[in-house]
Amino acid sequence: MARVPVIRLGATLIATVLEDLQDSDALDLQENLSAALERTGAEGVLLDISVVETVDSFLGRLLNDVAAAARLLGAVTVVVGVQPAVAITLVELGLGLSGVHTALTVEKGMALLERLLASARRQGRYGNY
Amino acid sequence: MATTDERLPIVGEGDIVRARQRAREIAKGLGFGLVDQSRIATAVSELTRNVVRYATGGKGDVSIKSLSGSGIEIVVSDHGPGIADVEQALRDGFSSGAGMGMGLPGAKRLMDEMHVDSELGSGTTVTIRKWRR
Amino acid sequence: MDRLSRSELAAEAEQQRQTISELQTPVIQVWEGVLALPIVGVLDTSRTQQTTEALLDKIVDTSSEIVILDITGVPVVDTAVAKHLLEMVTAARLLGCEVLLVGISARIAMTLVHLGLDLSGVTTRTTLAKGLELAFRRLGLEVVSRRGDGRANGGGEDER
Repeated sequence: MARVPVIRLGATLIATVLEDLQDSDALDLQENLSAALERTGAEGVLLDISVVETVDSFLGRLLNDVAAAARLLGAVTVVVGVQPAVAITLVELGLGLSGVHTALTVEKGMALLERLLASARRQGRYGNY
Repeated sequence: MATTDERLPIVGEGDIVRARQRAREIAKGLGFGLVDQSRIATAVSELTRNVVRYATGGKGDVSIKSLSGSGIEIVVSDHGPGIADVEQALRDGFSSGAGMGMGLPGAKRLMDEMHVDSELGSGTTVTIRKWRR
Repeated sequence: MDRLSRSELAAEAEQQRQTISELQTPVIQVWEGVLALPIVGVLDTSRTQQTTEALLDKIVDTSSEIVILDITGVPVVDTAVAKHLLEMVTAARLLGCEVLLVGISARIAMTLVHLGLDLSGVTTRTTLAKGLELAFRRLGLEVVSRRGDGRANGGGEDER
């Protein structure tokens, strides 16, 4: 069974997908992240899917759901590493992942999270992510 | 260049990943580019998930074969309850978010051809094809 | 007199096809982190796919964060073309890019409104120059004239 390690870096949780996920692994990831957010009060989630070659409608929807649940738990989510072929396929499936922020790399993703969190703090904690 | 049928059983969730990975490998071997490999793998994922989730007993099989070396044909079949209204499933199975039809519109959009043969109480066979450009 | 073999002819044809494809979908890096993509001619499904692939590969190669999509050269914008443009925008977004749509004429603007499409998520400007100006601002850059006549103007007549 593939596990997705979730590590904490300051106020951010970083989850790196290491291999092709089965449906139950993806659901576990969603649960683990939500639990971790509740437990730690982290404000940011970085989800690294750069090794994922196939993102179908199930995983696509799950990514949206992860971001939606994170938002309710007071955190903003950035997905990084969407491969070009995956991006094109998702768009053709009609899934733009509009509920999720994205960045090309982990580095850019962390920078984006910083900007989003800084702007949220300026607007007051309950600003719209 | 082997053109023999490759047949994989669909018994559980793990077979969704196995089937799509195999389809990707075969597509790659046939000369399909990265994006087409992704389309094919995703379409196979959608269809095999349908079998695992909604076919009675969740069992079926996938056969992958080359079409004269310039195309790929994948047939996903099960002995599930069948789809009552294929037309409707193709139309809004995607947005309804549940039931046997989900995944069909997605697969259709990604492939060049798709044929659905379904009989209530007997099962469903979905055939998809893609050609190299 | 040389007679090209069938495989040589096929290889040559493939090379020509690739060249034509590259000429039709030029993705230019105009600044570090900024790509410009002028779209000329009819945008059908096949061209959209080719262009999107080329664009995404370039985004990855150059690590760009802004794409200026110039549709000045697109003659007709109907539902199909608009859908293709939105697909390109969405795909680039998935790779973390912001897409600025430029070259929108009054006619196209009205057509898009009539089509009832939701383009609220897409930032637009009338010219490439204005798009570039916005891109610079996004990156925290400013273009300053050394001639002592104040900030440089990108070439647009009105300031809006």
